[in-house]
Amino acid sequence: MRSAIIADLKKDMQKILNNISNESVPYLFLLPCLLILGSLLSVPLYKVVEYSLYDNVIVQKNPSFVGLQNYKEILSDTAFWKATLNTIIFTVGSVIGHLIIGTSLALLVNTDINPKARTLFRSLLILPWIFTAVVVAVNWQLLLNPFGIINYGLDKLGIISEPLDWLGDPSLAMWSLLLISTWRGYPFIMVSFLSGLQSIPKELYEAAEIDGAGFFGKFWHVTIPQLKPVIYGVALLDLIWTFQLFPLVWLTTGGGPGRTTEVLSTMTFRYAFVNFEFSQASTVAVSILIISAAFTIFYLRNEKSKI
Amino acid sequence: MFFKKIFTLIFAFSFAWTINASAKTEIEWLQWFAAENTRDFYEGLVDEFEAANPNISVKLVTQPFGKVRESIVTDSAVGVGSDVLGLNMPWTTGFLKSDILEPLDKYMSKGSNSFKTENLVQAPIGKINGKTWMVPLNAFPFVMHVNMDLVKKAGFSKPPSSWSELKEQAVAISNLGDGISGIGMPLSSQPPSNGPILTFLPLLYSNGGRIMNGTSPNFDNAKVVETLNFINDLKKSGAMAPGFASRTGGVDLEEFIAGRSGFLISPGVHASAVATRNPDLNYDLVRVPTNGVNAYRVHGWELGIASKSKHKEEAWKFIDFLLSKEVNAKVAKASRALPGNLDSLDLVSGGATPVMKTQMNILSGDEPVEELRQAPSAVASWSIMTEEMQSMLRGDQSAKEAATKVQSRWLDLIS
Repeated sequence: MRSAIIADLKKDMQKILNNISNESVPYLFLLPCLLILGSLLSVPLYKVVEYSLYDNVIVQKNPSFVGLQNYKEILSDTAFWKATLNTIIFTVGSVIGHLIIGTSLALLVNTDINPKARTLFRSLLILPWIFTAVVVAVNWQLLLNPFGIINYGLDKLGIISEPLDWLGDPSLAMWSLLLISTWRGYPFIMVSFLSGLQSIPKELYEAAEIDGAGFFGKFWHVTIPQLKPVIYGVALLDLIWTFQLFPLVWLTTGGGPGRTTEVLSTMTFRYAFVNFEFSQASTVAVSILIISAAFTIFYLRNEKSKI
Repeated sequence: MFFKKIFTLIFAFSFAWTINASAKTEIEWLQWFAAENTRDFYEGLVDEFEAANPNISVKLVTQPFGKVRESIVTDSAVGVGSDVLGLNMPWTTGFLKSDILEPLDKYMSKGSNSFKTENLVQAPIGKINGKTWMVPLNAFPFVMHVNMDLVKKAGFSKPPSSWSELKEQAVAISNLGDGISGIGMPLSSQPPSNGPILTFLPLLYSNGGRIMNGTSPNFDNAKVVETLNFINDLKKSGAMAPGFASRTGGVDLEEFIAGRSGFLISPGVHASAVATRNPDLNYDLVRVPTNGVNAYRVHGWELGIASKSKHKEEAWKFIDFLLSKEVNAKVAKASRALPGNLDSLDLVSGGATPVMKTQMNILSGDEPVEELRQAPSAVASWSIMTEEMQSMLRGDQSAKEAATKVQSRWLDLIS
């Protein structure tokens, strides 16, 4: 009797061990990746937060712990709030620009034309996405130069009488930056929406036509509702990326003229590598992290709801 | 038996190699000089040094100018920095705050040095906190580059030598139209935002003005305001190229090389870029037009030793080699600048071009001025000047207000 109980217990134990080993296999496969990603993300993340709690790190041998003092100073600094406002304007403006241009071009390259021409246009229109930020910045600086082709064209058309300093005039610099950012970022939206458009059943458009819907009717009542999940996900992703965008702004205007195009990412860089105030830079970086994390949570929730 | 012999041979070779390798000290030289139009030149210098000093090897680390400053600071923070550092005088204050530099006084007083301290260009070796922190590899005065074709086309026979002539000729050149401008003012906010130190300071020094009083900012003085007013006047009279707030130093140079600017105030070393990139340009180089004072902003490439270097003696040996008469003359010729060791001047002047001779005359006859070693945090202070000058040229504030604001913001920077 006793030996039978022990045998049963052994069997149960074996079963549990087998279950654990079976269930742990996927985690073991994930382990190397989790370890690498964890160490690459968590260590810098921890260091940035830690740095933000000291008076000045890296350039100072014995930095002192100051708690939330840097946060208090940054939050009472008008330059920080100006940069925050600029970041919001730049991010929202860019995403709206990306969505409008990306959607329009996705509709155009989805039309039923000669397949070779369609492929050519799709390839050409995706080009801005391929260029690095440096190439984009230098090209647009040349285009927008007071003696550049844009001023020349506007002058010949009689729209302006003297050259405009697109990147150096405070009233034009942010608009110019938005134009450049829109040009650089629309291909991502275009490609994403194009795949979304191709998955919309043709029957829906046929049914809408029978109901008497025209181009705009079909667009509002068929295309937009069908693309809604894609639009929401892609717009959030674009929002997260654009919010932290640094190279394009730094290489195009350097946050100027004055500080009219200073965004939070350029402010972080300025604190770190212009002023060598790494703790203040970390403090601004943490603020970017918090806002980006909030966007990311929205994005993940949206993705989860699709499953 | 055969295998035993082979094994012994391999062992002996490995042992000898290990001994040799361990006896050799490697020093690292971080600089931007090798990136400036001198292909393989610095590699050749390193080979020459290593041949004369078989126990020292030099690792040449070349980065763009804008990156070197960042690298020195971050490398020093994590303790992996180079031994010999290529330096720029305006970086000094920031580096001293972070204890990055080793004082050079004890090395400079060595009797075995290949040069005499009194023969070095003096500006970089001037003491700060009672110590010398860097030595000059080469030197060049700030000058005015002149497009003679445009000057003649505008109806003048020779380049301007005074402020009033500069304004008159620059306006006349701008009036030629067709995208031609008299003079550019590179006041872009883009890093390193160094427009004011390229153009404003040389004009200020030729007006007898200064921005520092020892180690204290002294920006709101009458000479500064007068110079700012002159720049404002250039803008208002139409002498200045449009787009000052988006014009970088690089664009300013390119516009001159392309023949679209009459005048360019910049380091004399840019003569090599003009000569190599547009040899057809009818080009001349003159001292910056004066408002009564023959003074020039002196600039150059400097050398220092990292305070965290474990091989300071070897690092100094290499610096001493670079400052020796023959080697320093070679460096000067390669960079089309003047030597840091003025004892090499006779070697450089042999076969010197007229442009180089003009620079030599400026260097020997006029008053050298260097204030940026003591100015508050280099790039940050330039940005402040840039922003306030942009605002002044837009008409948002007067020269006096701009000077007062720079002074106040500089004081904040050092507090």
